[in-house]
Amino acid sequence: MDSTKQKLESLLEDLSRVNTLPRLSAAVEDVDKIIALLSSAREQVAGALDPHTASLTMTKLQNPIKTAFDSVNDDLKAASAAHKKLGRALDKSFPLKPLPADSDKMDEHLPLINRAIAMHLLREGQFSVTSTFITEVQENPPRPVSADPDASMADGANGTDDDGLPVPDDEDYNLTSLHSQELQERFAEMYTILQQLKAQNLMPAIEWARANSAELEARGSNLEFELSKLQYVWLFQGPAINGLPDDGRNGRAGALAYARQHFGRFQTRHLREIQHLASAMAFAPNLAASPYRATFATAVAFTDISASFTREFCSLLGLSAESPLYLAVTAGALALPQLMKYRLATRAKGTEWTTAGELPFETPLPESMLYHSIFVCPVSKEQTTDANPPMVIPCGHMLARETLQKLCKGSRFKCPYCPSEGQIKDARRVVL
Amino acid sequence: MADHEASKINHDNHLLLDQPCLRLPYELLRKNFRAAHLPFEKDSTSVKNLLKDTANGSLNGKASPQDVVKNLDQMLVKMRGLKRKLTAAAEEEDRLYRQMDARVAHLRELASLNTVDDVKYESWSRQRLDRLLVDYMLRHGYNASATALADERGMRDLVDIDTFVVLSKIRAALQSGSVQEALAWCGENKKELRRMPSNLEFMLRCQQYIEMMRTGSQSKMLEAINHAKKYITPFNDTYPVEVSNMAGLLAYRPDTALEPYASLYSASRWRRLADIFVEAHLNLLSLPTSPLLHIALSSGLSALKTPACHSRQSQADANDQLFSGSPEETTPRRKPATPSTPASPHPHPHHHHGTASLTTRVCPICSTELNALARNVRYAHHGKSRLLEHDLMLLPNGRVYGKARLDEYAAKSGLPADRVKDLTTGEVYSSDQLRKVFVT
Repeated sequence: MDSTKQKLESLLEDLSRVNTLPRLSAAVEDVDKIIALLSSAREQVAGALDPHTASLTMTKLQNPIKTAFDSVNDDLKAASAAHKKLGRALDKSFPLKPLPADSDKMDEHLPLINRAIAMHLLREGQFSVTSTFITEVQENPPRPVSADPDASMADGANGTDDDGLPVPDDEDYNLTSLHSQELQERFAEMYTILQQLKAQNLMPAIEWARANSAELEARGSNLEFELSKLQYVWLFQGPAINGLPDDGRNGRAGALAYARQHFGRFQTRHLREIQHLASAMAFAPNLAASPYRATFATAVAFTDISASFTREFCSLLGLSAESPLYLAVTAGALALPQLMKYRLATRAKGTEWTTAGELPFETPLPESMLYHSIFVCPVSKEQTTDANPPMVIPCGHMLARETLQKLCKGSRFKCPYCPSEGQIKDARRVVL
Repeated sequence: MADHEASKINHDNHLLLDQPCLRLPYELLRKNFRAAHLPFEKDSTSVKNLLKDTANGSLNGKASPQDVVKNLDQMLVKMRGLKRKLTAAAEEEDRLYRQMDARVAHLRELASLNTVDDVKYESWSRQRLDRLLVDYMLRHGYNASATALADERGMRDLVDIDTFVVLSKIRAALQSGSVQEALAWCGENKKELRRMPSNLEFMLRCQQYIEMMRTGSQSKMLEAINHAKKYITPFNDTYPVEVSNMAGLLAYRPDTALEPYASLYSASRWRRLADIFVEAHLNLLSLPTSPLLHIALSSGLSALKTPACHSRQSQADANDQLFSGSPEETTPRRKPATPSTPASPHPHPHHHHGTASLTTRVCPICSTELNALARNVRYAHHGKSRLLEHDLMLLPNGRVYGKARLDEYAAKSGLPADRVKDLTTGEVYSSDQLRKVFVT
């Protein structure tokens, strides 16, 4: 069905077949035979009383040795042929395509890359690798690769960029701050809570959510309630399922007690759900066949809640839930073919980038990698930016500001999409 | 639909970053074979000749049985030496085939996938990221980190630690002022270097000469002249400028300010040698010269970046009027990150992005890890609008949200049915103040 896929599969097939071809180890065995021939000849000559033995042995030795060397030579040839076969398979189905050498001057920003890597490793819970990495970077800080050593790490690393945006303080770029302090502790905290969630212990997550309930609510997050709800459901199912001690704090009685103690504060926002949970009591003997089935499917619930916990935890730190490094590298692999195609085309034509801030070609990414709404003005076909923001005109259509300025006759314009007309003063800048 | 197209894996193009993964074991197999073949040629010829001579000598009575035994011993020494070399090469070959096997298995996982939305793709792509991280660490000489990460992830066979450890040892030697290791490496790879061609060996020989000149002692300088006769002047045709500079160096002391002699004496020349060496080494093994992570990042940051990622406007009050700015401000296309209002102080991290909270995810470019790095790259080009939400509604403050999300947030905030709340600013409005927005 898919030719590129088949091509890759057949390449991999070829490569693994090479693995069964003759290897150098055969040559070692044949060299051993030569050594054996020589050793036995030596013994014969040394042990012989008759001087003719020497010449006789030596004459007889000529042909076997020659044959043995020939077979070593054949072994080597066979091993080399296997390598060459491998090389041919690679050349045919996986020809080397040169990668772009100048990567937007990434190597001028090594401190930033190192910091991103350290944060990624922390996220992944690789605390010991992180600390090795930070130590190595500190012992051997990246030297600027620029030809001019004086202009070391001029922009981006600290201070203010030419575009006048405030850049976080130096210490944010300093790996030491990652090493010892807050962020590492935070990620360690996140990691511990996630481990506990995996072991179906909700308490640490609930404590965290309660401590941060104001911020979570401001985000419109239900995490605290969702966690408490799951705790109720979990207790409800009793010791046979949750494996907790069989006492008054477990089972239906325990769940009810938990609800009485903790659900009060959620009543204004989640009244209906709380009622729903309470009514489940009536179906307790046969939950699986009741309308409450979905609510009590805890296996999925724990996975889901871990994901929302990670998302909220990272969001409160101002970080994305997925590792940005992972996303960027994955997106990079997806976009790279477009970049190389463009490079080839422009090299052939001798033209170069045309727009200053924007890539001159499309790099389509899957829906899941879209994080901001993109508005492209339907008239000018340009993306809106701070300098050329999106505007809504009275009929509700959206246009880029520059487009609107060009459409204007005096202070009035006609909408390019519907018959209505508008006054420039009625156009509103919008934030998507 | 176009989005489906974007999630489909094109197996031909998807492995651009993974070329070295299969190439390198092959290049190393060839290198290893050459290293084994050369001693075989030499030793087999000499053993065969010695054997023939000994047999003849023994036949015509020129060689006594004792001589024969002595010669046989000599042959045995040669053969045992050869065996040692071949055994080492065979072991290295086994290791390389094992690596190849592991890599084929790794890529086979990708071959079994059709779209990036497949859950298995994520774990594959994570492993690729780990490989790229190890590659990055190795190239920057962070060998302990690279080894630790590879061991944690159980992917030693997918990364090339040994190759880069050799490289970084020689590089470190050059950086600390020793040419011996690099010269030895040049010796091992003479043929290939000549074919490239590389000026590495010539540059190293020049450095040796410079160091002798630096001592200022009479005897060393004589030695330098002999050294130059042997290693430098023969290259007069290839590197005329360098050769004459070397000759000129005789007249200048290390403290000279005159160029080019000052830079020839400069310590930074060692760093350049290290760079030349690294480049030659990477070229020899068909490895890209910059870390794969740099390539992936520069392409990925751009593909993900939008004008909103470094925009201050999305936080600032959107409520400004058309033509309110100065004339310059409305001139076409300035840098996307240029703020049209004075830069605000540090934004609250929660509101670092335009559309905050509630089921939206923090964008990787807006996230602290990559934000500063992404400032240096271009943003992605989009030919048509791509909206995260539908049924867009305009709030009186100029912010636009999808109707569903506004309703959900209002419900979660416990607002009465005819009220909505701005997801970013928290302002509450009556539903009849909302206006529909159409994106064509």
